[in-house]
Amino acid sequence: MRLTCSRDELATKLALAARAASTKSTIPVLGQVRLTAHEGIVELAATDMELSLRVPVEATVAEGGAVVVPRLATDIVRTLANGQVEFEHRANEGVVSLSGGQSSFTLNCLQATEFPELPADDGEALSVPVAPFVTTAERVARAASRDDTRPVLTGVLVRIGPDGITMVATDSYRLAVMQTPLENPPAQTREAIIPARALQEMGRLAAAMKVESFDLILSESQAVFRIGGARLTSRLIDGQFPDYRQLIPDHFEHEVVFERAELGAVLSRIGVLAQRSAPIRLAFEPGQVTVSAVSEQLGEGHESLPVTFSGEPLEIGFNAEFLRDGVENISGDEVKLGLISPLRPGLLQSGGDDGYRYLLMPIRLNV
Amino acid sequence: MGDPIPSILHADLDAFYASVEQLLDPKLRGRPIAVGGSVVLAASYEAKRFGVSGGMAGWQAKQRCPELLFVRGNFREYQRLGDAVYHLLCDYTPAIERISIDEAFLDVGGSRRLFGPPDQIARTIRTRVRDEIGLPISVGAARTKHLAKIASQVAKPDGLVVVDPATERAFLEPLPVGLVWGVGPATRERLERRGITTIGQLADADPRILTRILGDAMGQKLWERANNVDERSVRPAGRAKSVGAQSALGRVAHTPDLLAEVLGHLADRVAMRLRAKGRTGRSVTVRIRFPGMRAITRSVTLDDPIATTLTLREVAERLVVGALREMPHEREITLLAISVGHLVHHDALQLELAVGDDDPSRMATQSGAARLAVDQSMDAVRERFGTAAVGYGAVVLGKRRLVPDEFRELAERDR
Repeated sequence: MRLTCSRDELATKLALAARAASTKSTIPVLGQVRLTAHEGIVELAATDMELSLRVPVEATVAEGGAVVVPRLATDIVRTLANGQVEFEHRANEGVVSLSGGQSSFTLNCLQATEFPELPADDGEALSVPVAPFVTTAERVARAASRDDTRPVLTGVLVRIGPDGITMVATDSYRLAVMQTPLENPPAQTREAIIPARALQEMGRLAAAMKVESFDLILSESQAVFRIGGARLTSRLIDGQFPDYRQLIPDHFEHEVVFERAELGAVLSRIGVLAQRSAPIRLAFEPGQVTVSAVSEQLGEGHESLPVTFSGEPLEIGFNAEFLRDGVENISGDEVKLGLISPLRPGLLQSGGDDGYRYLLMPIRLNV
Repeated sequence: MGDPIPSILHADLDAFYASVEQLLDPKLRGRPIAVGGSVVLAASYEAKRFGVSGGMAGWQAKQRCPELLFVRGNFREYQRLGDAVYHLLCDYTPAIERISIDEAFLDVGGSRRLFGPPDQIARTIRTRVRDEIGLPISVGAARTKHLAKIASQVAKPDGLVVVDPATERAFLEPLPVGLVWGVGPATRERLERRGITTIGQLADADPRILTRILGDAMGQKLWERANNVDERSVRPAGRAKSVGAQSALGRVAHTPDLLAEVLGHLADRVAMRLRAKGRTGRSVTVRIRFPGMRAITRSVTLDDPIATTLTLREVAERLVVGALREMPHEREITLLAISVGHLVHHDALQLELAVGDDDPSRMATQSGAARLAVDQSMDAVRERFGTAAVGYGAVVLGKRRLVPDEFRELAERDR
C-alpha cells in the first residue's frame, strides 16, 4: 500500500480514530489503528471491542492495501513538517515507512489480518439532526456514573420519539434529564442505554465531520452512528434504567431563583474549601442564603446572597462539585432551585424552561 | 532495677456508686446501702462489713444485712462525678490513663518540681477529691502499675499506701493471690486447690506448672506479676479505635432466640455509643466464648461504614451464626461480644437517589436513612428519659437483663 496525504489531515484523523483504541488491553492490536485503502476510499479504524470508530481520510492512493499502524505513528505524523506525508506499507519487510519534509521513519508493524472484524453498520436508520442531539448529550452525560460495579448507571438512557430526544443519566447521587423537541420527530419511539463514553466520542466525531445530521441505527445489542463518511458503533448496556419520572418529586416547598453567573462564582470561591467530598452548605432564611464550607484542616469560608425565600430557615448540604456541575449546565441567566427538606433532593433548572432538569441528593449534615 | 522512685499512682474511688448515693442523700450516710434491686450492683462499706458485695442477689444481701437499704442508681451522676475526679487528677500530670469510671493510673515522675514527690501528690489528690468533690478515694504509689494497683487495694478504704522500692517483695509476699491483677474467683480457686494462697507462694511456684494449670499466656503473666515484673507504662488514652460491648451469659444453649436477643441488645449499645461519638465504623468483630474459657472471634470489613443498630445486629448475627455452624459440637456459649473498628468521623453523608436496590444496610439509601432516623429519634428520647425509655421490640422484651444498661455503659470503655 502506498499513499500521500496532507500532514494535518492524517494527524487529525489518526488522533480521532485512536480514541477508540484500547489503552488497557493486553492484546497489542487493540491499542492500534488500522489503515485501509480500497477503491479510492481510505479509512482509519480502531476498536476496544466495546466502541469502534471508522474515520475516512482524504488521500491520494498510489496502491491499495491494509495495515495496522503502530501507536507511535500518531505522534510522528503530528510532529512532521507541514505539507505532504508519504505513507508506504512494505509488506514483505513487515514495516511501514513515513516521510515528510526531510524526515523519514521506518516502523515495525502488525498485519491487517490480525485486526478484529468490526461490527456490521447497516440496519434501519433514523436521520437525526446533530445539534440538538449533541447538546442534549453534553448536558446530560456528565451525570453518568464512572463506577463499573453498576453498569446500567455508566450509560445514558437515550429515547427518540414523537416527543423529540430525551436523555437521562444518573450516578445515584444526581440525575440529569433533558428533553429536546425535534422539528420532524419520528412517529415511533426507540430507546437504548448507550455508554456515556460513546456519546462523548460521537460529539467529537460530529464536530470533526462538520455535518448537520447523522444516521442512528439502534439494534438489539449495538448502536451505530453514521456521521458523514465516519461510523461509530457501540455496544448497548443491558438492563433496566431507573425510572427518572418517579425520582423527581412533583412538588417543592421552596423555589429559589438565583442569578446563574453570581451563584456560579460563589460556588467556585466557597467550593475551594469544600475539598474531598466535604459538603457545601446553603443556609436559607427569609431574604437571603449563606453559602459556606468548613474544613477541619484548612479553615472556613462563607458568603451571603440576597434571594427570595420565605418560611422556616432551612440548611442543606450538597457535594460542591455536583452542585457546580448542575449550575454550569443550566442555560440562560437564571437558575431555579427547588427544595423540600434537608434530606430530600433538590432540583435545578433554567429560569426559562429549556427541558433540562438536574436532581441532586443532599449530603446529610451533622449525622 | 530502674527508676527507684515510686512515681506511679493508682487512684481508685472507694465504693464509688454507693459513695455517690451517700453524697447526694445525707440520710444514707453511715448506713449500709446497696445500689440495685434484684441484683446488688454496688455496696457501701457499711454494707460490705455484713458480707454484702456486688453481683449478689438482692434477697441474699438482705439476709446477710437486714438493715440494708436499696437505692436506685443515679447513673448520670456517677458519670458526672467520675469525670470530675478524672479532670482533677489531670491537674497533676498529662501521663494519665483512665481505666474505668472510677480509677486511673498516673505517672507523676515528671511532676516533682511542680507539685512535690509522689507521696505528697497522692496526699494532695486525696484531700482535694474529699474537699472539692466530697468522695473518698484511695491511692497506691509504687514503681510499677501492678504494684500501685495492689497498693491502692491494700489502702482501702480511704487510705494511702506507698510501696518503698526497697521492700517491694516483702510487701507483696504475704498478700492474698486474689489481689494479683487478672486473678478472678475461678483462677483463685484453682490456685488455692494447689496450695497457692499468697502472692509469695505464686512467685515461688514453678512457672511450668502454672502454665499447665492456667494456660500458657495466663500462667506466664501471673507468674511475672507475682515476681514483680511489669514493664507497662502509663499510656494516656488516644482517640478510641473501636467501640464494643459484651454480655456474659452464664452457660446457655445458643438458640436463635437467644442470639437474636443478646446480639440485638449488644448492637443497640454499641451503635448508640458510635452515634453519640459521631463515628461510624467499617469493621465488625464478634467474640463467642464457650464453656471452659475457649473463645473465638470472627470479623468482617464492610464496603460502607455503619452506625445503625439494626444493621450492626444483622452483620453480627451473620458472623455468629456462621461461626457456630462451623463448630456443631459446641452447644453452649458463655459470652457474646460485638465491637466495631476502623472508625471514621462521620459528620456528613452523601445520600442516594432511590435507583436500584434499596439496601437498608447502607446508610445512604432511603431505607438505610430511615433506619438511621429511627435510631436518632430513639437516641433523642433516651437522652431525655433514659436508655430504658424506648428500644427495639425483641430487645426490650427480653427478660435476661438484671443489670441496667446504664450500669454497663459506665463499666464499658472504648479502646
